[in-house]
Amino acid sequence: MIPLLGGQFLLLGRLAQALRWERPSWKAVLQQVVELGLGSLGLVATGMAFFGMVIVTIAWAQARKYTGNITVVGPAYLELIIREFAPLLSGLLAASRQAAAQSAELGAMAVNEQVEALELSAADPLVELVAPRFFASLVALPALTIVGAMTSVAAASATVSLAFGADGASFANTRFVGPMDVACAGVKAVLMGAYIPLAAAYRGLGARGGAAAVGEAVTDGVVEACFGCLSIDFMVAAAFLPFT
Amino acid sequence: MRALGRAVLGLLGWTGAVALLAGRCGARLGGLNGAELVRSLVSFGARSLGLAAGAGALIGATVVLQAGVYANQFGARLYTGWAAGYALLWEFGPLLLGLLMAARIGARNAAELALLTIHGQLEGLRGISLDPYRLLIAPRVVAGVLSVLALSQATFLVAVGFEALAALAMLGLPLRVFLGAFAEMLHLGDVIAGLTKSLAFGLAIALVSTVAGLRVEGGARGVGRAAASAVLVSCATIFGLDFLLTPLLAKVLS
Repeated sequence: MIPLLGGQFLLLGRLAQALRWERPSWKAVLQQVVELGLGSLGLVATGMAFFGMVIVTIAWAQARKYTGNITVVGPAYLELIIREFAPLLSGLLAASRQAAAQSAELGAMAVNEQVEALELSAADPLVELVAPRFFASLVALPALTIVGAMTSVAAASATVSLAFGADGASFANTRFVGPMDVACAGVKAVLMGAYIPLAAAYRGLGARGGAAAVGEAVTDGVVEACFGCLSIDFMVAAAFLPFT
Repeated sequence: MRALGRAVLGLLGWTGAVALLAGRCGARLGGLNGAELVRSLVSFGARSLGLAAGAGALIGATVVLQAGVYANQFGARLYTGWAAGYALLWEFGPLLLGLLMAARIGARNAAELALLTIHGQLEGLRGISLDPYRLLIAPRVVAGVLSVLALSQATFLVAVGFEALAALAMLGLPLRVFLGAFAEMLHLGDVIAGLTKSLAFGLAIALVSTVAGLRVEGGARGVGRAAASAVLVSCATIFGLDFLLTPLLAKVLS
């Protein structure tokens, strides 16, 4: 737990400190939003569509065994998708793509001494490199989570209608979905969005040496980002337990 | 249109490379280099045990947390044991662990192979007429598959244990009742389905990351890019395989 939080939190603190003097340009943030959002969009949308079809297959099997009707199980599964699966899996998918790309990029810059070059030209690498990724991820990950939730529910309803010949709309029934479910998903997405770029930047900027160090940085960055998402998911779910 | 064409070409390229690699490794299964196999098993498997156990604990506790909400709503607490175990074996466990292992084993394998490639060490082996596939690549692929398979089972055990504890702590369900319901309602078919899935995910991770590592171009930037693409393509493959395998296994095993 300590390696998972220590360095990343220090980095967050240093980022906050650096941002008191200098702000990243809007253009850089916007560029990163486009890069992160569009870059992960295909992976998240297809992955979550597949997942929606799989989860509805499982729900269908369960429904046939015990309750006999998808309309009974469907709304419960929909709530589960919105509160749990969509934020967690979209987060993990985005984390693996984004953290790998960012730690590779920053790691290569660090070992090629491009980060030092930035420092020498009186630019703070935290403001120039980390801050745009951080703010962009705060926006992009909730957006990707919404896309993931929508594609998985759409794919699940389509599977119910087309493959099982039942009423697809009965699955996408928001009877059980309350404001707390949406809030829970939103908090998860924002926290994951904040954690992923910090994990990637911590390992990427810490890379020292040659190409081997970049490989190490990518491995550690991705693993810590993914594990961090799992931990955040659990902690937020536990925090929201009294409200369900 | 152009993006679509590029995506299709990329998919075909990856599929071809993975098939070729699988064939080459399959042909050399008899004469694997034992030392490299053991070294890779330690590096991929034993060193990932902590991560897998931690993930298992989190997954187990989360599943109970979510299942318990319904158990309270519908007043069917006994059902928790079965529903949690079922979801875990079939879907949540293999998928989440697959994603984590894609990050951990996939990125590591790709980065190491990419390093060997850009430093010309694989060429060097060929130059002294040694077979890099037999010495280096096939053992790593086998070790990757075995590691994912073994780690999935370890994760599953940890997750069930944590599910039982979480059910006791949060829902007040005695351990005996939870595990009893779990054992009673779970069939051998469910276990086989979980095993098959983790085997398929292991194969995907090992083959895809090896291809990504061998395809490296350039220096430090290339190594980073190889590791990143290994993670990305493994994750996409895992979701695709999950989609293909779930209905197939449900049909075969029921």
